[in-house]
Amino acid sequence: MSEGDVIFQLKKGDRDTLKKIYLEHKREFFKFANRFHLKDMDLEDIYQDAMIALMENAQKGKMDDLGCSIKTYLFSIGKYMAYNHARNKSKTYHTKDDYVFDKHEYETMDSILENESLSFYQKKIVDGLKKMGNKCREILTLFYYSGLTIEEIMSAQGYENKNTVKSQKSRCLKSLKELIKKENE
Amino acid sequence: MNKTDLINAYFEGSLSETDKKKFESLLETDAEFRQAFHFEKELQTALKKEKRKQTKEFLKTLGDKEKTPRSKKLSFVPWLAAASIAILMGFGTWWFYFSSTEVNTDMLYVQYYSPYENVIHPIERSDQITDLQSRAFSAYDMGDYESAVELFEELRTKRNEPYISFYNAIVLMQLDQHEKAIVLLEEYISLNGELKDRAQWYLALSYLKTKRISDAKDQLDELIAQDGFMLKKAKELRRELE
Repeated sequence: MSEGDVIFQLKKGDRDTLKKIYLEHKREFFKFANRFHLKDMDLEDIYQDAMIALMENAQKGKMDDLGCSIKTYLFSIGKYMAYNHARNKSKTYHTKDDYVFDKHEYETMDSILENESLSFYQKKIVDGLKKMGNKCREILTLFYYSGLTIEEIMSAQGYENKNTVKSQKSRCLKSLKELIKKENE
Repeated sequence: MNKTDLINAYFEGSLSETDKKKFESLLETDAEFRQAFHFEKELQTALKKEKRKQTKEFLKTLGDKEKTPRSKKLSFVPWLAAASIAILMGFGTWWFYFSSTEVNTDMLYVQYYSPYENVIHPIERSDQITDLQSRAFSAYDMGDYESAVELFEELRTKRNEPYISFYNAIVLMQLDQHEKAIVLLEEYISLNGELKDRAQWYLALSYLKTKRISDAKDQLDELIAQDGFMLKKAKELRRELE
């Protein structure tokens, strides 16, 4: 598989691809991150978070015109996260080999680092989603999580009309709200 | 642009400057609009956090060495690669090189087939079955179809819920066991399962792969008559079969 194919699979959240990247670079990442003097357990955690950021950034199209290898990109993310973890934020830690992130990439990484768990209400939303039919879960996930546009959902699912997708999505939102309300009663 | 379109455009990142102003003023002045928007925003955050949690749990199961022996490469893999290349290059040009006067069912199958994507697992009930179910779906997600087929078949005997047959059928298709998949899909469709239209699409493809072209055409015609899922692709494929 070429790097382009790998990025395409990452965008789809393909678990085999995640696994392959994760295992392929793990040992080297640990060696590379040795300089931060972190415990193995923390490093493991950081490496996993870096993988999540890698996937989310791919989904946001940040890797579409990547000027470096996937590995370099992943290690740059990991390095940023390790620095943050070690509370060792020094402004000059960048070296010329590091990837230069944009504002959105920093936002993604910071939000993963915060590792906020689901709020009470968000938990209710997830529970409600799990009770919904497949079609609703599918359309809501594609739009709100995968970031597909109405038009992209239309062509991915082979609909001929945007309004079909829109009204389907509206119906699903409505029944999700009703499910949550029923739970609260 | 109505209010729903404005919110959709926000999530698509396609608000123009004028729409942005309209959007912001509605947020301030219109309570109903604000509520609708906040709900969708919470939904997005909830999905993101849930997905992160699931991915992290998945990564935690990966050690340095593989715990389970790697399932042997499926003969299907080169096909999938060919299929993704076809998608990347656009069907038209790719098809051009391979087209012959006869209908090549294998090629058409590769061109149109991709496995159904499992988004979030349905709700779980009792513990024992929950475990079986989550193992089945995680094998499915990881593309370990050989384990998945065993787990789904076991699950099907314990819980008679139609959607399990649907996923079971997709796994069988991945393993190139179309005769078995056809039985399950036909049964699922006759029960009017929720994913009936999806099942019809896959059934048409399994018919195609087993060279039952007139059955495939019939399924496609039914799908086209419903005017919904995969309409465009069903029409395209239907034309190819003529």
